[in-house]
Amino acid sequence: MGLEQINTLMEVFTAEDPMPFEHPEGDPWKDFREVMRIEWKMDFTYKHVLGKYSKFFIELANKKFVTTECPGCGKVWGIPRPLCSDCLTITKWKELPGTGTLIGYSVSHFVPAFMKVEKPYVLSVVKLDGADTLFTHQLRNYGDSTDDIKVGMPVKVAFTDEKVDHPLLLMHFEPA
Amino acid sequence: MEILNKERRVFVLGGGISKFAAERVDGNMRDWMNEAVLEALEDSGTQIADIEHSTTSYFSDHFDKQLKAGAIFHDNIGMCPKPNVRVEGGGGTGGLAIRNAYAYIKSGLCDSMIVFGGENMGRQVPSDVAQQFIALASDTDWEVQVAGFYIAYYAMMMTAHMDKYGTKEEQFATVSVKNHRNAMYNPKAHYPMDITVEDVMKSKMLSYPYKLLDNCLLSDGAACIVFSTAEWAEKNAKSWGSKPTVELTGTGCGTDFMRMADRPFPDPGIIHFRGKQSGAQQAYEMAGVKNPREDFDCFEVHDAYSGVELVTYEDLGFCKPGESGKLAEKGVFDLGGDLPTNTSGGLIGFGHPVGATGVGQGVEVLRQLRQEAHPKRQVELNAKRGGMDSHGGTGTFCAINIFERRD
Repeated sequence: MGLEQINTLMEVFTAEDPMPFEHPEGDPWKDFREVMRIEWKMDFTYKHVLGKYSKFFIELANKKFVTTECPGCGKVWGIPRPLCSDCLTITKWKELPGTGTLIGYSVSHFVPAFMKVEKPYVLSVVKLDGADTLFTHQLRNYGDSTDDIKVGMPVKVAFTDEKVDHPLLLMHFEPA
Repeated sequence: MEILNKERRVFVLGGGISKFAAERVDGNMRDWMNEAVLEALEDSGTQIADIEHSTTSYFSDHFDKQLKAGAIFHDNIGMCPKPNVRVEGGGGTGGLAIRNAYAYIKSGLCDSMIVFGGENMGRQVPSDVAQQFIALASDTDWEVQVAGFYIAYYAMMMTAHMDKYGTKEEQFATVSVKNHRNAMYNPKAHYPMDITVEDVMKSKMLSYPYKLLDNCLLSDGAACIVFSTAEWAEKNAKSWGSKPTVELTGTGCGTDFMRMADRPFPDPGIIHFRGKQSGAQQAYEMAGVKNPREDFDCFEVHDAYSGVELVTYEDLGFCKPGESGKLAEKGVFDLGGDLPTNTSGGLIGFGHPVGATGVGQGVEVLRQLRQEAHPKRQVELNAKRGGMDSHGGTGTFCAINIFERRD
């Protein structure tokens, strides 16, 4: 037996001194250059609570876009928040028409590991009519070319009938 | 804001860097921290036994797979049972750690502090998983779930800047060219390179308008700085009096909403870093900076993406909003220009091992002010003052610190 006893062993190798220019008199770590690499897999599933935001997601399933309005200062947050962070008043739910304006966008040819998205995809920040702050989501159905996407163009909230892995994906933006 | 005890001052005694690289297979974060600490102790001429307190700077528990890693770094260098505190603010962690040293020493909680920072970002996970880990530093309920990740967030900010001010892709590409070039004179840099604007423009499109070479790097590495009062240094530091004296004279911190969508619209909207503007104002006031472009000899800025460096010039007051692209094209921020920025190579050329980055900026400014930098990246000292700017998220946490040479 020996190294093969280690189920997760990937390799054993000799590493080079990464800073030889610092060590003209020889590598001070020369006795520590033998390196082992193993595979370490971690896999978790959480039971995640969406808390006081939950009504937003429930209403998305009803094909409605709701957010919160502050009864104290009147501010309408694009992304709902149960406590108005401008004046610390508990907010009230409010439905918005779902129309708005494109404020910024990106066209991604790279997807982080956890998302199922076809490349390229467009992430956008939108000023919704009736809201004082913005909302971030994907812009879809923008036509044949991303060249047609322009800051300032009118967009709208659209809903999907497909099954989704996160309730936020029940909606997206589209050109209006 | 009234600054506390003016008699009590905070000095920068020495620094160390453990090489920034794509993957440091020769060890892990613990080893790099040790290397950075040993260099900082040697540079400062101090003994760890005399240093009273430490601050740990690292960002991600996911990358290192180790909670309260500070306990390990601290005990590895024989600091137990002396006090330690961890500071965390995403990409701004290192800048906040330097600020923490100021606060602790200025308050009298300690007379000396060693700040060590590092990150294990390398290639232990594929880049799409690394981007997932980093994306967890945005709102996981609202931003991550729509396939949000940092390159895309910053790309959205940049398209808005381009639309408002007419900033061009070629203009922010010049930042990448400069920072990769500056890194050529920094042997500890991850990605030194002699490239052209055309190379940047032709590199792989990741998230329009950002191409591969507009991005900073996922790096392994560590950095360390020793700070103290003058009285402590006189007693305990061999460097005191034998090397140029450098003082930490200003520190500022600002924040903004985690989700850029929540920020006051239209100003700053998604274009400007409000926390950077207010943090800089605090730091400048403390250090008596009136005109930053003249009052600094060098400035390390948080170039997470090339365009971020341009916006940062505007928010730190190096120029007016919308002017940064044209000035960068003219070479105002190059070595030899009005205000050389990221002489180390920055996050794009030197590298971005997150918890090390802000601390490493401090080491670079220290080297510059002592005129110890490689001759090809050494700046001319006039104001004898250097700045550093470190931020996390899309400007969620911002820390601005100022060092000054005292002859």
